[in-house]
Amino acid sequence: MKLITANEVLNLKGVPCPQNSAKALLKLASMDFNEILEIIIDDGEPKENVPSSIESDENYKVITLKKSEDNSWHLLVKVIQ
Amino acid sequence: MPAYNMNIYLDNNATTKTDSRVTEIMTQYVESIYGNASSIHRIGIKASLGIENARNIIASKINAFPEEIYFTSGGTESNNWALKGVYNANKDKGNHIIVSSIEHPSILETTKWLAKNNAKITYLPVDKIGFVKIEDVRKAISKKTILVSVMHCNNEVGTIEPIEEIGKLCRKNNLIFHSDACQSFTKIKIDVIKQNINLLSLNAHKIHGPKGIGALFIKKGTPIEPFMHGGGHENGQRAGTYNSPAIVGFGKAVEIAKEQENTNIKNMRDYFISEINKRLSCYTLHGTVGNQRICNNINISFNNISGKSLFTELNKRGIYISTGSACSSNNLEPSYVLTAMGICEKVAHEAIRISLSKWTTLEEIDTTINNVCNIVNSIRK
Repeated sequence: MKLITANEVLNLKGVPCPQNSAKALLKLASMDFNEILEIIIDDGEPKENVPSSIESDENYKVITLKKSEDNSWHLLVKVIQ
Repeated sequence: MPAYNMNIYLDNNATTKTDSRVTEIMTQYVESIYGNASSIHRIGIKASLGIENARNIIASKINAFPEEIYFTSGGTESNNWALKGVYNANKDKGNHIIVSSIEHPSILETTKWLAKNNAKITYLPVDKIGFVKIEDVRKAISKKTILVSVMHCNNEVGTIEPIEEIGKLCRKNNLIFHSDACQSFTKIKIDVIKQNINLLSLNAHKIHGPKGIGALFIKKGTPIEPFMHGGGHENGQRAGTYNSPAIVGFGKAVEIAKEQENTNIKNMRDYFISEINKRLSCYTLHGTVGNQRICNNINISFNNISGKSLFTELNKRGIYISTGSACSSNNLEPSYVLTAMGICEKVAHEAIRISLSKWTTLEEIDTTINNVCNIVNSIRK
Protein backbone atom coordinates (compact mmCIF):
# COMPACT_ATOMS: atom_id res chain seq x y z
CA MET A 1 0.00 0.00 0.00
CA LYS A 2 1.33 3.41 -0.93
CA LEU A 3 2.25 5.53 2.09
CA ILE A 4 0.52 8.92 2.12
CA THR A 5 2.65 11.74 3.46
CA ALA A 6 1.32 15.08 4.58
CA ASN A 7 2.61 18.38 3.21
CA GLU A 8 2.06 20.07 6.57
CA VAL A 9 1.12 19.14 10.14
CA LEU A 10 -1.25 21.08 12.42
CA ASN A 11 -1.26 20.10 16.08
CA LEU A 12 -4.58 21.04 17.68
CA LYS A 13 -4.22 19.08 20.90
CA GLY A 14 -5.66 21.09 23.77
CA VAL A 15 -7.57 23.44 21.45
CA PRO A 16 -11.30 23.37 22.29
CA CYS A 17 -14.27 23.09 19.90
CA PRO A 18 -15.06 24.90 17.69
CA GLN A 19 -11.76 26.79 17.70
CA ASN A 20 -10.00 23.64 16.52
CA SER A 21 -12.28 23.32 13.47
CA ALA A 22 -11.82 27.02 12.66
CA LYS A 23 -8.04 26.76 12.91
CA ALA A 24 -8.05 23.63 10.73
CA LEU A 25 -10.22 25.28 8.06
CA LEU A 26 -8.07 28.42 8.15
CA LYS A 27 -4.94 26.34 7.56
CA LEU A 28 -6.57 24.32 4.79
CA ALA A 29 -7.66 27.52 3.05
CA SER A 30 -3.99 28.50 2.72
CA MET A 31 -3.04 25.21 1.06
CA ASP A 32 -3.01 24.28 -2.62
CA PHE A 33 -5.07 21.79 -4.60
CA ASN A 34 -4.04 18.15 -3.96
CA GLU A 35 -1.99 19.01 -0.87
CA ILE A 36 -2.50 17.03 2.31
CA LEU A 37 -2.71 18.35 5.87
CA GLU A 38 -2.18 16.14 8.91
CA ILE A 39 -4.27 17.37 11.85
CA ILE A 40 -3.80 16.10 15.40
CA ILE A 41 -6.81 16.46 17.71
CA ASP A 42 -7.94 15.25 21.12
CA ASP A 43 -10.26 12.33 21.71
CA GLY A 44 -13.90 12.96 22.63
CA GLU A 45 -15.69 16.07 21.42
CA PRO A 46 -12.89 17.20 19.02
CA LYS A 47 -12.83 13.76 17.38
CA GLU A 48 -16.61 13.94 16.93
CA ASN A 49 -16.69 17.51 15.60
CA VAL A 50 -13.54 18.33 13.64
CA PRO A 51 -13.76 15.68 10.86
CA SER A 52 -17.42 16.45 10.19
CA SER A 53 -16.81 20.20 10.18
CA ILE A 54 -14.04 19.73 7.62
CA GLU A 55 -16.14 17.46 5.42
CA SER A 56 -19.03 19.91 5.48
CA ASP A 57 -16.78 22.02 3.25
CA GLU A 58 -16.77 20.47 -0.23
CA ASN A 59 -13.19 21.63 -0.86
CA TYR A 60 -11.72 19.09 1.54
CA LYS A 61 -11.83 15.33 2.09
CA VAL A 62 -10.80 13.42 5.19
CA ILE A 63 -8.67 10.53 3.85
CA THR A 64 -7.75 8.76 7.08
CA LEU A 65 -8.55 9.03 10.77
CA LYS A 66 -6.31 7.05 13.13
CA LYS A 67 -5.99 6.89 16.88
CA SER A 68 -2.47 7.06 18.26
CA GLU A 69 -1.03 5.55 21.43
CA ASP A 70 -1.43 8.78 23.43
CA ASN A 71 -5.18 8.72 22.70
CA SER A 72 -5.04 11.61 20.24
CA TRP A 73 -6.42 11.33 16.69
CA HIS A 74 -4.51 11.94 13.46
CA LEU A 75 -6.49 13.04 10.41
CA LEU A 76 -5.15 13.29 6.91
CA VAL A 77 -7.15 15.85 4.94
CA LYS A 78 -6.77 16.46 1.20
CA VAL A 79 -7.59 19.65 -0.65
CA ILE A 80 -9.78 18.36 -3.46
CA GLN A 81 -10.94 21.58 -5.13
CA MET B 1 -22.04 84.40 14.13
CA PRO B 2 -20.74 83.56 10.65
CA ALA B 3 -21.92 80.31 9.14
CA TYR B 4 -19.27 77.68 8.60
CA ASN B 5 -19.69 74.54 6.56
CA MET B 6 -16.47 72.87 7.61
CA ASN B 7 -16.14 69.47 9.14
CA ILE B 8 -12.47 68.97 9.88
CA TYR B 9 -11.84 66.15 12.34
CA LEU B 10 -8.48 66.50 14.09
CA ASP B 11 -9.10 64.51 17.27
CA ASN B 12 -7.77 61.15 16.09
CA ASN B 13 -5.85 60.44 19.30
CA ALA B 14 -9.32 60.28 20.92
CA THR B 15 -10.89 58.07 18.27
CA THR B 16 -10.95 57.63 14.50
CA LYS B 17 -13.59 57.29 11.81
CA THR B 18 -14.21 53.64 10.99
CA ASP B 19 -12.91 52.58 7.57
CA SER B 20 -15.68 51.49 5.17
CA ARG B 21 -13.81 48.20 4.50
CA VAL B 22 -14.09 47.52 8.24
CA THR B 23 -17.80 48.29 8.40
CA GLU B 24 -18.36 46.18 5.30
CA ILE B 25 -16.91 43.02 6.84
CA MET B 26 -18.57 43.78 10.19
CA THR B 27 -21.95 43.99 8.45
CA GLN B 28 -21.44 40.47 7.07
CA TYR B 29 -20.88 39.19 10.61
CA VAL B 30 -23.91 41.08 11.92
CA GLU B 31 -26.33 40.10 9.15
CA SER B 32 -25.15 36.75 7.76
CA ILE B 33 -22.45 35.07 9.86
CA TYR B 34 -24.24 35.82 13.13
CA GLY B 35 -23.76 32.39 14.75
CA ASN B 36 -22.27 32.15 18.22
CA ALA B 37 -18.58 31.50 17.63
CA SER B 38 -18.66 28.90 20.41
CA SER B 39 -21.30 26.80 18.63
CA ILE B 40 -20.23 23.82 16.57
CA HIS B 41 -22.73 24.22 13.73
CA ARG B 42 -21.53 25.61 10.40
CA ILE B 43 -22.62 29.17 11.05
CA GLY B 44 -20.86 29.11 14.42
CA ILE B 45 -17.67 27.71 12.90
CA LYS B 46 -17.80 30.36 10.16
CA ALA B 47 -17.87 33.04 12.88
CA SER B 48 -15.03 31.28 14.68
CA LEU B 49 -13.07 31.19 11.43
CA GLY B 50 -13.35 34.98 11.15
CA ILE B 51 -12.17 35.39 14.73
CA GLU B 52 -9.15 33.10 14.29
CA ASN B 53 -8.23 34.91 11.09
CA ALA B 54 -8.32 38.25 12.95
CA ARG B 55 -6.24 36.76 15.76
CA ASN B 56 -3.60 35.62 13.23
CA ILE B 57 -3.44 39.07 11.61
CA ILE B 58 -3.02 40.87 14.95
CA ALA B 59 -0.45 38.35 16.24
CA SER B 60 1.64 38.60 13.12
CA LYS B 61 1.68 42.43 13.35
CA ILE B 62 3.51 42.27 16.72
CA ASN B 63 5.52 39.06 16.11
CA ALA B 64 3.44 37.02 18.59
CA PHE B 65 1.79 33.60 18.39
CA PRO B 66 -1.97 33.70 17.69
CA GLU B 67 -2.69 31.90 20.97
CA GLU B 68 -1.03 34.80 22.82
CA ILE B 69 -3.76 37.24 21.67
CA TYR B 70 -6.81 37.55 23.96
CA PHE B 71 -9.71 39.71 22.82
CA THR B 72 -11.11 42.23 25.30
CA SER B 73 -13.60 45.10 25.22
CA GLY B 74 -10.83 47.64 24.58
CA GLY B 75 -7.69 49.27 25.92
CA THR B 76 -9.18 50.06 29.32
CA GLU B 77 -10.07 46.42 29.97
CA SER B 78 -6.68 45.24 28.69
CA ASN B 79 -4.89 47.65 31.04
CA ASN B 80 -7.08 46.67 34.01
CA TRP B 81 -6.53 42.98 33.29
CA ALA B 82 -2.75 43.34 32.91
CA LEU B 83 -2.31 45.07 36.26
CA LYS B 84 -4.92 43.30 38.39
CA GLY B 85 -4.24 39.91 36.81
CA VAL B 86 -0.49 40.06 37.39
CA TYR B 87 -0.91 41.45 40.92
CA ASN B 88 -3.30 38.66 41.92
CA ALA B 89 -1.18 35.90 40.38
CA ASN B 90 2.11 37.05 41.92
CA LYS B 91 1.22 38.00 45.49
CA ASP B 92 3.62 35.36 46.80
CA LYS B 93 6.52 37.02 44.95
CA GLY B 94 5.87 40.66 45.83
CA ASN B 95 3.45 43.58 45.83
CA HIS B 96 5.42 46.36 44.17
CA ILE B 97 4.39 47.79 40.80
CA ILE B 98 6.22 50.49 38.84
CA VAL B 99 4.32 52.71 36.39
CA SER B 100 5.07 56.02 34.72
CA SER B 101 3.27 59.12 35.98
CA ILE B 102 1.88 59.91 32.51
CA GLU B 103 0.04 56.61 31.91
CA HIS B 104 -3.57 56.57 30.68
CA PRO B 105 -6.19 56.87 33.48
CA SER B 106 -7.06 53.17 33.01
CA ILE B 107 -3.59 52.42 34.42
CA LEU B 108 -3.42 55.18 37.02
CA GLU B 109 -6.92 54.55 38.42
CA THR B 110 -6.17 50.82 38.55
CA THR B 111 -2.94 51.40 40.50
CA LYS B 112 -4.91 53.63 42.93
CA TRP B 113 -7.33 50.76 43.46
CA LEU B 114 -4.50 48.24 43.84
CA ALA B 115 -2.83 50.54 46.40
CA LYS B 116 -6.01 50.25 48.50
CA ASN B 117 -5.53 46.49 48.29
CA ASN B 118 -2.00 46.38 49.72
CA ALA B 119 -0.01 47.07 46.55
CA LYS B 120 2.94 49.46 46.68
CA ILE B 121 3.13 51.69 43.63
CA THR B 122 6.06 53.73 42.33
CA TYR B 123 5.16 56.49 39.87
CA LEU B 124 8.14 57.23 37.62
CA PRO B 125 8.81 60.88 36.82
CA VAL B 126 9.22 62.07 33.23
CA ASP B 127 11.47 64.80 31.84
CA LYS B 128 10.21 68.06 30.31
CA ILE B 129 9.43 66.40 26.97
CA GLY B 130 7.74 63.39 28.50
CA PHE B 131 10.43 60.70 28.51
CA VAL B 132 10.79 58.09 31.24
CA LYS B 133 14.47 57.69 32.10
CA ILE B 134 15.79 54.14 32.19
CA GLU B 135 17.91 55.06 35.22
CA ASP B 136 14.75 55.95 37.15
CA VAL B 137 13.25 52.54 36.33
CA ARG B 138 16.46 50.85 37.49
CA LYS B 139 16.46 52.80 40.77
CA ALA B 140 12.80 52.00 41.46
CA ILE B 141 13.23 48.20 41.21
CA SER B 142 13.17 46.43 44.57
CA LYS B 143 13.05 42.82 45.77
CA LYS B 144 9.25 43.13 45.98
CA THR B 145 8.79 44.39 42.40
CA ILE B 146 6.65 42.16 40.21
CA LEU B 147 5.56 44.39 37.34
CA VAL B 148 6.68 47.43 35.35
CA SER B 149 4.13 49.19 33.12
CA VAL B 150 5.20 51.98 30.76
CA MET B 151 3.12 53.09 27.80
CA HIS B 152 4.58 52.85 24.30
CA CYS B 153 3.40 56.28 23.29
CA ASN B 154 1.69 59.00 25.30
CA ASN B 155 -1.84 59.90 24.21
CA GLU B 156 -1.54 63.63 24.98
CA VAL B 157 1.94 64.65 23.87
CA GLY B 158 2.88 61.74 21.60
CA THR B 159 6.25 60.98 23.20
CA ILE B 160 7.49 57.50 22.30
CA GLU B 161 8.93 55.85 25.39
CA PRO B 162 12.11 53.70 25.34
CA ILE B 163 10.21 50.45 25.83
CA GLU B 164 12.88 48.22 24.32
CA GLU B 165 15.40 49.36 26.92
CA ILE B 166 12.83 49.05 29.71
CA GLY B 167 11.90 45.56 28.48
CA LYS B 168 15.55 44.54 28.50
CA LEU B 169 15.98 45.81 32.05
CA CYS B 170 12.85 43.94 33.18
CA ARG B 171 14.04 40.73 31.58
CA LYS B 172 17.42 41.05 33.31
CA ASN B 173 15.63 41.47 36.66
CA ASN B 174 13.06 38.75 35.95
CA LEU B 175 10.16 41.22 36.07
CA ILE B 176 6.96 41.22 34.05
CA PHE B 177 6.83 44.12 31.59
CA HIS B 178 3.54 45.56 30.35
CA SER B 179 3.11 48.30 27.78
CA ASP B 180 -0.03 50.13 26.70
CA ALA B 181 0.28 50.40 22.92
CA CYS B 182 -3.20 51.74 22.18
CA GLN B 183 -1.86 54.93 20.57
CA SER B 184 1.08 53.38 18.75
CA PHE B 185 -0.32 50.13 17.33
CA THR B 186 0.22 50.04 13.52
CA LYS B 187 1.90 53.48 13.66
CA ILE B 188 5.16 52.34 15.23
CA LYS B 189 6.67 48.90 14.71
CA ILE B 190 6.18 46.58 17.66
CA ASP B 191 8.06 43.31 18.10
CA VAL B 192 7.14 41.70 21.41
CA ILE B 193 10.14 39.35 21.28
CA LYS B 194 12.76 41.96 20.41
CA GLN B 195 11.28 44.43 22.89
CA ASN B 196 10.97 41.85 25.71
CA ILE B 197 7.28 42.56 26.28
CA ASN B 198 5.22 40.17 28.42
CA LEU B 199 1.90 42.01 28.16
CA LEU B 200 0.71 44.50 25.55
CA SER B 201 -2.60 46.38 25.42
CA LEU B 202 -4.13 47.06 22.02
CA ASN B 203 -7.36 48.52 20.71
CA ALA B 204 -9.16 48.97 17.42
CA HIS B 205 -10.87 52.35 17.43
CA LYS B 206 -7.64 54.37 17.23
CA ILE B 207 -6.81 52.68 13.91
CA HIS B 208 -10.09 53.11 12.02
CA GLY B 209 -11.56 49.97 13.56
CA PRO B 210 -14.70 49.62 15.68
CA LYS B 211 -15.12 50.88 19.23
CA GLY B 212 -15.55 48.40 22.08
CA ILE B 213 -12.92 45.89 21.01
CA GLY B 214 -9.30 45.45 21.99
CA ALA B 215 -6.80 42.78 22.89
CA LEU B 216 -4.23 41.87 25.45
CA PHE B 217 -1.11 40.08 24.27
CA ILE B 218 0.01 37.68 27.00
CA LYS B 219 3.37 36.05 26.41
CA LYS B 220 3.24 32.29 26.96
CA GLY B 221 4.14 31.44 30.55
CA THR B 222 3.36 34.87 32.03
CA PRO B 223 1.66 34.35 35.40
CA ILE B 224 -1.68 36.20 35.23
CA GLU B 225 -5.16 35.55 36.66
CA PRO B 226 -8.19 35.42 34.34
CA PHE B 227 -10.14 38.69 34.14
CA MET B 228 -13.72 37.60 33.45
CA HIS B 229 -15.01 34.33 34.83
CA GLY B 230 -17.67 32.33 33.03
CA GLY B 231 -17.59 30.09 29.95
CA GLY B 232 -14.34 28.77 28.58
CA HIS B 233 -13.85 31.56 26.03
CA GLU B 234 -10.34 32.71 25.22
CA ASN B 235 -8.75 29.62 26.70
CA GLY B 236 -10.61 30.16 29.98
CA GLN B 237 -8.91 33.53 30.50
CA ARG B 238 -11.61 35.96 29.40
CA ALA B 239 -15.18 34.72 29.43
CA GLY B 240 -18.01 36.26 27.43
CA THR B 241 -19.67 35.56 24.08
CA TYR B 242 -17.34 36.54 21.27
CA ASN B 243 -18.09 39.94 19.78
CA SER B 244 -17.41 38.49 16.34
CA PRO B 245 -18.38 41.54 14.20
CA ALA B 246 -16.05 43.77 16.22
CA ILE B 247 -13.25 41.20 16.28
CA VAL B 248 -13.25 40.71 12.50
CA GLY B 249 -13.47 44.50 12.12
CA PHE B 250 -10.39 44.83 14.35
CA GLY B 251 -8.53 42.28 12.21
CA LYS B 252 -9.49 44.12 9.01
CA ALA B 253 -8.36 47.48 10.46
CA VAL B 254 -4.93 45.99 11.22
CA GLU B 255 -4.73 44.26 7.82
CA ILE B 256 -5.35 47.49 5.87
CA ALA B 257 -3.06 49.74 7.93
CA LYS B 258 -0.21 50.87 5.68
CA GLU B 259 3.20 52.17 6.75
CA GLN B 260 3.22 54.80 3.97
CA GLU B 261 0.16 56.45 5.52
CA ASN B 262 2.21 57.19 8.64
CA THR B 263 4.90 58.98 6.60
CA ASN B 264 2.26 61.18 4.96
CA ILE B 265 0.70 61.97 8.35
CA LYS B 266 4.12 62.82 9.82
CA ASN B 267 4.88 65.16 6.91
CA MET B 268 1.60 67.01 7.51
CA ARG B 269 2.31 67.20 11.25
CA ASP B 270 5.73 68.75 10.57
CA TYR B 271 4.23 71.13 8.01
CA PHE B 272 1.68 72.33 10.58
CA ILE B 273 4.39 72.97 13.17
CA SER B 274 6.67 74.80 10.72
CA GLU B 275 3.83 77.02 9.44
CA ILE B 276 2.80 77.95 12.98
CA ASN B 277 6.46 78.76 13.69
CA LYS B 278 6.55 81.09 10.67
CA ARG B 279 3.28 82.84 11.37
CA LEU B 280 2.88 83.07 15.15
CA SER B 281 5.10 84.02 18.04
CA CYS B 282 4.97 83.06 21.70
CA TYR B 283 3.91 79.43 21.53
CA THR B 284 5.20 76.25 23.17
CA LEU B 285 5.21 72.87 21.48
CA HIS B 286 4.84 70.22 24.19
CA GLY B 287 6.72 66.95 23.79
CA THR B 288 9.45 66.27 21.32
CA VAL B 289 9.92 66.46 17.54
CA GLY B 290 11.00 64.08 14.79
CA ASN B 291 10.84 60.32 15.08
CA GLN B 292 10.51 60.23 18.87
CA ARG B 293 7.03 61.69 18.61
CA ILE B 294 4.13 59.70 17.21
CA CYS B 295 3.38 60.73 13.63
CA ASN B 296 -0.11 62.15 14.17
CA ASN B 297 0.15 64.22 17.36
CA ILE B 298 0.61 67.96 17.97
CA ASN B 299 0.26 69.45 21.46
CA ILE B 300 0.75 73.19 21.59
CA SER B 301 0.10 76.18 23.86
CA PHE B 302 -0.30 79.74 22.63
CA ASN B 303 0.78 82.31 25.18
CA ASN B 304 -2.19 84.03 26.88
CA ILE B 305 -4.81 82.09 24.87
CA SER B 306 -6.67 79.51 26.92
CA GLY B 307 -6.97 76.12 25.30
CA LYS B 308 -10.68 76.15 26.07
CA SER B 309 -11.34 79.40 24.16
CA LEU B 310 -9.31 78.24 21.16
CA PHE B 311 -11.19 74.92 21.25
CA THR B 312 -14.54 76.74 21.39
CA GLU B 313 -13.71 79.06 18.49
CA LEU B 314 -12.44 76.20 16.31
CA ASN B 315 -15.47 74.11 17.24
CA LYS B 316 -17.79 76.92 16.06
CA ARG B 317 -15.99 76.81 12.70
CA GLY B 318 -16.34 73.02 12.39
CA ILE B 319 -12.73 72.16 13.30
CA TYR B 320 -12.63 69.47 15.97
CA ILE B 321 -9.63 69.23 18.28
CA SER B 322 -9.22 68.68 22.03
CA THR B 323 -7.81 70.68 24.91
CA GLY B 324 -5.08 69.67 27.31
CA SER B 325 -7.41 70.06 30.27
CA ALA B 326 -10.03 67.77 31.67
CA CYS B 327 -13.34 68.85 33.14
CA SER B 328 -13.67 67.57 36.67
CA SER B 329 -16.22 68.64 39.29
CA ASN B 330 -16.98 71.85 37.36
CA ASN B 331 -13.34 72.92 37.65
CA LEU B 332 -11.07 72.81 34.67
CA GLU B 333 -8.09 70.73 35.78
CA PRO B 334 -4.79 71.15 33.96
CA SER B 335 -3.52 68.04 32.18
CA TYR B 336 -1.72 65.72 34.62
CA VAL B 337 0.59 64.72 31.76
CA LEU B 338 1.74 68.30 31.14
CA THR B 339 1.97 68.93 34.87
CA ALA B 340 4.17 65.83 35.28
CA MET B 341 6.41 67.22 32.52
CA GLY B 342 6.95 70.31 34.66
CA ILE B 343 4.73 72.59 32.58
CA CYS B 344 3.20 75.31 34.79
CA GLU B 345 -0.55 75.33 35.34
CA LYS B 346 -1.12 78.47 33.23
CA VAL B 347 0.65 77.05 30.16
CA ALA B 348 -1.01 73.65 30.67
CA HIS B 349 -4.42 75.38 30.52
CA GLU B 350 -3.37 76.94 27.22
CA ALA B 351 -2.63 73.58 25.57
CA ILE B 352 -4.57 72.14 22.67
CA ARG B 353 -4.11 68.75 21.04
CA ILE B 354 -4.44 68.35 17.28
CA SER B 355 -4.28 64.77 16.03
CA LEU B 356 -4.28 63.72 12.39
CA SER B 357 -5.35 60.60 10.53
CA LYS B 358 -4.77 58.96 7.15
CA TRP B 359 -7.71 60.94 5.82
CA THR B 360 -6.45 64.35 6.91
CA THR B 361 -5.70 66.47 3.83
CA LEU B 362 -3.20 69.26 3.31
CA GLU B 363 -6.12 71.55 2.53
CA GLU B 364 -7.63 70.78 5.94
CA ILE B 365 -4.29 71.47 7.60
CA ASP B 366 -3.98 74.81 5.77
CA THR B 367 -7.54 75.75 6.78
CA THR B 368 -6.80 74.84 10.39
CA ILE B 369 -3.54 76.83 10.41
CA ASN B 370 -5.34 79.89 8.97
CA ASN B 371 -8.12 79.64 11.55
CA VAL B 372 -5.74 79.10 14.48
CA CYS B 373 -3.69 82.14 13.38
CA ASN B 374 -6.79 84.33 12.92
CA ILE B 375 -8.23 83.37 16.33
CA VAL B 376 -4.91 83.77 18.18
CA ASN B 377 -4.21 87.13 16.51
CA SER B 378 -7.71 88.48 17.18
CA ILE B 379 -7.63 87.48 20.88
CA ARG B 380 -4.14 88.92 21.30
CA LYS B 381 -5.12 92.31 19.74
